[in-house]
Amino acid sequence: MELTGEEKKMQMLFSELRLADEQTVPSLSATWNRAQARRFRPRRAFNFSFAAATALLICALASLAWWSTHWQRAQQPIAVAGTPSGILPTPKAPEVTPLYNGTPPSKGTKSEPTKRSSSGHRFEVRAKLRADKLSAQQEANLLAAAQKQAAAISGWQSPTSTLMNSANDDLLKSLPKLNESTNELKSFLPSTPK
Amino acid sequence: MKQIDPMDIAELKAELEALHSASFGWALSCCRRDRAEAEDVLQTVYLKILEGKARFRGEAAFKTWLFAVIRKTAAGEYRRRLLRSLKLIPGREDASDSSSPEAGPVATFERSEVGIRFQTALKTLPARQREALHLVFYEDLSLREAADVMGVSIGSARQHYERGKKRLRETLDRADVAYGINWRRKENADAV
Repeated sequence: MELTGEEKKMQMLFSELRLADEQTVPSLSATWNRAQARRFRPRRAFNFSFAAATALLICALASLAWWSTHWQRAQQPIAVAGTPSGILPTPKAPEVTPLYNGTPPSKGTKSEPTKRSSSGHRFEVRAKLRADKLSAQQEANLLAAAQKQAAAISGWQSPTSTLMNSANDDLLKSLPKLNESTNELKSFLPSTPK
Repeated sequence: MKQIDPMDIAELKAELEALHSASFGWALSCCRRDRAEAEDVLQTVYLKILEGKARFRGEAAFKTWLFAVIRKTAAGEYRRRLLRSLKLIPGREDASDSSSPEAGPVATFERSEVGIRFQTALKTLPARQREALHLVFYEDLSLREAADVMGVSIGSARQHYERGKKRLRETLDRADVAYGINWRRKENADAV
């Protein structure tokens, strides 16, 4: 490229700068060796942005899992209430864990299992008993509700069924008594010799 | 990651050695005359070449290709530096502590008033214009080669070059650079 006067002046300034830079150029071997050292250096273990992204992903997955389980639990009773009575499971009698072994508890003496079990075990038994009772009650309630629904469905009538009724329903629905009417007619006829 | 065989590395190193000084000057220009950053960029470029991330396929001249790699790496490093300043990514432990503008031997031209004014004028130019001027005047590349390095069309490169020249002249006029050159005069026989 041919340079004009002004360009030559600029080139001169740039060449001065280049000469100045050349005096301070780091040696190739030093730069090369440092690059090679960096090549074999282990990569940075912790990357903040990567860690943040991973944490966000984990949070999202955890919240999704939590939401799905709660949603399923919320949907379950509705589904049971909606099933017909025939499909409903029969309520089981609550399994009561015997606290007493038949003999009435006397003052100062404790029943056999209570004696053996610790206070924690007693609490567990009571809690289980209460839970069983509660579940049985819930099932009974559900069954009653389902039966009520079934009864309501069987006694259901269409709201337009009353329109089908009329004043001449008896005439329309009953069969004509043909024999009687002919006999009555015969009585009016003159008797003919056979 | 593709590995380069040792023979290729030796050849590459020989070619890089020939262009090392020019590469450093170009890296300096891309890093706004920050020596430490320029060294860092050059190291990263050599690392890319060693790891095979930057491969010369012979589509352009080796010098053009190398300068384009330096330019891209410098832009990447600048972005990373910005993010680092915003604390979005952790700082590099292996940041080179080798040299700084103050630590190294500062050349006479750079210390001189003319040199300082010239560098200040260069810094006021937009990056593209500065790059075009540097590639043409400092690296003695043609406008086509400069366009290849900058990744623009030759028309754009020419525009950047012309605008850069005009702007640099205006800035130097304002600063009254008296390097034996009066920019307003058409010819100065003593200067050249």
